[in-house]
Amino acid sequence: MALVHKFQNSTSVLRNCLRPSAALNPFGALHFVDYSTSLQKPVAPPNRVSQQRKTEEGFQRHRQKEDALDITSPEEKPDVSFDKAIIDEAKDHFRRLKNEIVAHWIGPEGRPLHEVLLEQARVIWQFREKQDLDKWIVTSDKAIGGRSEIFLKMGKNNRSALLYGTLSSEAPQDGDSSQSGYCAMISRIRRGAFERKLPYDWSQFNTLYLRVRGDGRPWMVNIRQDTDLIQRKNQMYCYFMFTRGGPYWQEIKIPFSKFFFSNQGRIRDVQSQLILDKISSIGFTLADKVDGPFFLEIDFIGVFADPAHSEEFAYENSPALNPRL
Amino acid sequence: MSWVLARGLSRGWGSICWDTLSGSHFSQVTPQAPWSLHYSTVNHKDEAWLVPQPSEPQRKPIRVLTPHEELFRPSPDGERDKASFVGAVQNFRQYSVHKRGHVDFIYLALRKMQEFGVERDLAVYNLLLDVFPKEVFRPRNVFQRIFVHYPRQQECGIAVLEQMERHGIMPNKDTEFLLIQIFGYKSYPMLKFLRMKLWLTRFKNINPYPIPRDLPQDPVDLAKLGLRHMEPDLSAKVTVYQMALPSDTPGAEDPTQPHIVGIQSPEQQATLAHHNPSRPVFVEGPFSLWLRNKCVYYYILRADLPPPEEKKVEEIPEEWNLYYPMKLDLDYARGNWDNYEFDIDKVTEGPIFAMCMAGAHDQGTLIKWIQGLQETNPALAQIPVVFRLARSPGELLTSSGLEGPSPLQAPPQGQEDDHPLQPLQQQGQSGVSGA
Repeated sequence: MALVHKFQNSTSVLRNCLRPSAALNPFGALHFVDYSTSLQKPVAPPNRVSQQRKTEEGFQRHRQKEDALDITSPEEKPDVSFDKAIIDEAKDHFRRLKNEIVAHWIGPEGRPLHEVLLEQARVIWQFREKQDLDKWIVTSDKAIGGRSEIFLKMGKNNRSALLYGTLSSEAPQDGDSSQSGYCAMISRIRRGAFERKLPYDWSQFNTLYLRVRGDGRPWMVNIRQDTDLIQRKNQMYCYFMFTRGGPYWQEIKIPFSKFFFSNQGRIRDVQSQLILDKISSIGFTLADKVDGPFFLEIDFIGVFADPAHSEEFAYENSPALNPRL
Repeated sequence: MSWVLARGLSRGWGSICWDTLSGSHFSQVTPQAPWSLHYSTVNHKDEAWLVPQPSEPQRKPIRVLTPHEELFRPSPDGERDKASFVGAVQNFRQYSVHKRGHVDFIYLALRKMQEFGVERDLAVYNLLLDVFPKEVFRPRNVFQRIFVHYPRQQECGIAVLEQMERHGIMPNKDTEFLLIQIFGYKSYPMLKFLRMKLWLTRFKNINPYPIPRDLPQDPVDLAKLGLRHMEPDLSAKVTVYQMALPSDTPGAEDPTQPHIVGIQSPEQQATLAHHNPSRPVFVEGPFSLWLRNKCVYYYILRADLPPPEEKKVEEIPEEWNLYYPMKLDLDYARGNWDNYEFDIDKVTEGPIFAMCMAGAHDQGTLIKWIQGLQETNPALAQIPVVFRLARSPGELLTSSGLEGPSPLQAPPQGQEDDHPLQPLQQQGQSGVSGA
């Protein structure tokens, strides 16, 4: 576990060295905008392109930092014996492995095959207990020196989760970034026995369903696939989520064909469909360059197979940008 | 291509260019100079005083003006607008034919645009691109095309386009022509222009709830827009219960008469008419709604869910025909392949009867709203109204049946919800509503 995170940290160091040459811009060494505040005004075209750039890059690093902090900060009291803890953890992992093997006999992820194959709608994340909140990490540009804050807590009656905070697009005074201001909530990668990554398989579904209640701000939904490879560290598929505001619950359905590909926070020329085989995590970002408090109340997040949606991919590759395709 | 650039640069120009390309353009000059100015003085002071002195108030570091910054001083009548900005740009051109320092000037102008209020103006961006000398930076042979020709200028061009994109401005044919004239077809600014043309048009209309770019200045109009934005029912009626009194000085609102704008749909009216008078209705707020970059606050009138005991049981009429069933309740279970419901019970909350936006956040204004509502909903006169107002306009989420104050949480923004149930108000209210 610690080894995994050390590896991630070392790759982040490597990435920092490579950063001047990484393609933040077609210009390569240019990173005059470190974290774009990426104004996402509700209607217009602004900064879609830049939005991704920074925010993605932003919270890749923070994810690693968060994980690193989780592991390396010592919170155990000195009177706990490490041997016992190690043995307990090993036993726990073996038990989970046994459960997984047993569940595999019943069907995928422990559910009978006929139920899984015929399923048209599945709830992936719900917020009914405190433990459900542990599956999410919240980050903001505080990690790079900005002033935005974000908090996550259970909503009223333990029936929803409330994500709230303040967005501040004041750029950190580190001489490097000229824009800032983002907040994000990312789901933790599902882990099985021995901390193996268990990706989600949503290949039978074609739409993402969110039941949220917002305050009128535009958010961005990011879906990340397996990111073990260094090249894939900052790649994700994104789309916008426009909240209406108001006291009514809003149902947002985003078909997976609408997600566009972005790397390091910038939308890429070569666009391809989101393959739903191995989904690692999902995240919500707010970076619309408007300073002020925000909140988002989430009831649950699910996927379903919309029979009326037949589009495979929404974006054509333009010959002007990539003539070889 | 980017790594080629990096390698070429590191060999050719050494660390100097590395630093510049590392993006410290914007704050290059300013932090360096005052630090060096101050450093020497601090040293002197440390030597002179051995007794710790009370810390003197922080002096702002003396800002060295970037070159050409004096062009952007406000005009004699103190106005900063498009004309003075354009004038400043034209003045720069007259400095020298060779336009030395145009890159720094363009960066400075990009920073100053916000102050002059021209960041949404495409013509100004075109004018700024016009500052570049033409035909000089175009690559003439294949080697110049491979190795980024005049990288600082290309970066600057990209910065201009980036700011346009950030404000959501679509470049036009003039921009394209300028870019071709300055940088040529195969340059990075041209590539960025192509990308902007593609993605900005693709994402122009994806907002299902669009808000006009120019928000109305009048608070009543803004309230109407916000209420219509929130209410999904198109047959809802917006009523202005009270207009703000026009005062002599524009912009100052009379504190004794704030505006009150409410919305209610016919369905909500019917539900309120059928509401059980023994259960109270609550006025909750203020909740925040963001319209582009403006935050407005609204209040709602809602009731809790009726407890399950109160649900009416439908009567089953006795069968009067024994030959054929009069009521057939065949509950065929559908197969899972047809089941599009999620396996979770959604959050249910009590019905909402009306919403309003008011100029002042106090109870008196809301009482006036309730009185205005009573004209269209006579049933409201019998129902006790409880006011649950948050102390600070933060999010105050509706509960489903949970009474009593929720525990205060740590965060410092003051966004916490607290339910100050005020029994005095309640009695006062039932007094008012009974009258």
